[in-house]
Amino acid sequence: MEKEIILSASHLKKSFRTGKKGLHIGKKGSHTGDNNLVHAVDDVSLEVIKGETLALVGESGCGKSTLARLLMRMINSDEGSIYFEGKEISHLSERKMRPYRKKMQMVFQDPASSLDPRMKIRDIIAEPLIAWNVYDSKAKRDDRILELLNLVDLREDCLDRYPHQFSGGQRQRIGIARAIALNPDLLICDESVSALDVCVQAQILNLLKSLKQQMGLTCLFISHDLAVVSFIADRVVVMKNGRICEMAPASQIYSNPGHEYTKYLLSSVPRIKEYD
Amino acid sequence: MNDDKLLEIKDLTVSIKQEKEMMPVVNGIDITIPDHSIIGLVGESGCGKSMTAKSINHILPSFAKITSGSMLWHEPSGQVCDLVTLKEKDIRKRCGTDVAMIFQEPMTSLNPLMCIGDQIKEVLMIHKLEKSQDRAKARVIEMLDAVEIPDPAVRYRAYPHELSGGMRQRAMIAMAMIANPKLLIADEPTTALDVTTQAQILDLIKKMCETHSMSALIITHNMGIVSTLCDYVYVMYLGTIMEEALTDELFRNPMHPYTRGLLSSIPRMGDNPEFLETLPGNIPVNKEKFRGCRFCLRCSDDIKKCFFEEAPLHKVSDDHYVRCHVAAGKED
Repeated sequence: MEKEIILSASHLKKSFRTGKKGLHIGKKGSHTGDNNLVHAVDDVSLEVIKGETLALVGESGCGKSTLARLLMRMINSDEGSIYFEGKEISHLSERKMRPYRKKMQMVFQDPASSLDPRMKIRDIIAEPLIAWNVYDSKAKRDDRILELLNLVDLREDCLDRYPHQFSGGQRQRIGIARAIALNPDLLICDESVSALDVCVQAQILNLLKSLKQQMGLTCLFISHDLAVVSFIADRVVVMKNGRICEMAPASQIYSNPGHEYTKYLLSSVPRIKEYD
Repeated sequence: MNDDKLLEIKDLTVSIKQEKEMMPVVNGIDITIPDHSIIGLVGESGCGKSMTAKSINHILPSFAKITSGSMLWHEPSGQVCDLVTLKEKDIRKRCGTDVAMIFQEPMTSLNPLMCIGDQIKEVLMIHKLEKSQDRAKARVIEMLDAVEIPDPAVRYRAYPHELSGGMRQRAMIAMAMIANPKLLIADEPTTALDVTTQAQILDLIKKMCETHSMSALIITHNMGIVSTLCDYVYVMYLGTIMEEALTDELFRNPMHPYTRGLLSSIPRMGDNPEFLETLPGNIPVNKEKFRGCRFCLRCSDDIKKCFFEEAPLHKVSDDHYVRCHVAAGKED
């Protein structure tokens, strides 16, 4: 079967300037030459294949979130190019970029701060549908909202409530409903389950996995939790200091890690001992 | 497990004020911490595990109060003293020397305006453990070295913002350990840290407990940490201990449906089920008082009895207790 590449990046670079002073004690990021320049993403090339879940793992400060933002064109790269479904998008103007925005959606880490506290759930989920004028009548739009609620296992009576009336897990479901409202081709989850309790985390992970099966979603899943990644990912990219250390199918990363850093990461995870 | 008890928490109830009513958030729990052992307290957020920890040192927030129970502290001399009835002045004498605490977010628990060395030295000066400033400073540097902070003499003058998260947590541990406490309470000590740093800090806590023959109460939601670090575990749900057992016993033979649910919802590396088995629903908002089992709304094998009567702590073996009608019934 021919693999269809939905998103690819080649030789992406992004660096940030930090303050002039600074002791740089224990600071992460590679400092080359210019001391104030931190290379957050340093010559990264990767491909996301249609239908897969690609996980980006690494410690905080390794550049995984910056990379996601670059890929979504939320920030512009210094060098390198990004291709979405074969077309280069790295230098498109904001206006030409707009059709692509619809195809890439994001679920954030903190569901409390990514939902507008003054909007009802109905309006939050409707917003992308209104912005894109997907449905010509309100009735059709309302049907779609109900369908979305159903997909993320929320009850109908949620619609007229505000975000603060929900628990963390429910808020994350609302965030997911909003992200999938436009049937995106690519869903980027930036630490979407990190702030949740274990039981709720398991519920959301199950939801993401079943949505992927139902809708054929392609997912770029950013996480620092290797156990979570092992559950959800098809392929894993391990990042350190803005560079990719290892990129391999998930099964291989866990059974036969190739890079020293991957081995170190895996050995650091506190595991539940095996009992027969 | 050691038989010499260090701290015995008996029937502790902590309540918070809500709309003029006192609502219990910790509900008559019993925890025994023996000498030289690491005890784990696990549960989801909001189950009252931090409230339990904070009540030991009397640092509960102003809206919360210990409403009943006792906390018996066993001195090495054999004397027993109830921490609940102690006055503010007396409990302060014990903070740091008997019971020390480390918190989740080291940045908010360190003073940003003082260099870390002086903050640690403060413990020695306040408790009058060292009279000379120079000797105290030397002890602090020794301690910084013991918690594996590189270049301790230089780092003595570092401010919290100059240190990484892991280094800050090491400084917190140094501060907690400087007065040789008998009990270390660690409230989610590694939740804010990266996984590699977490492994180092956990190793350090374990090493410190061994070298200083200290006990520790580890509060966490991470079952992996419990499995690698703790000797004995208490599982808490909505302010009640649901199950307690030796760590190996608990993981090998979890009896309470809540414990089983917790364990099955953790994704594990190398073992990829199609979907995770998870507990249905959410933690109920603790508004109404429970008559029956707190867990019955989410439980898969509840019986009628569960709705009306709270199960007593049933003894499975000497090192395993469970609060569940069904599990108790199976045994009989």
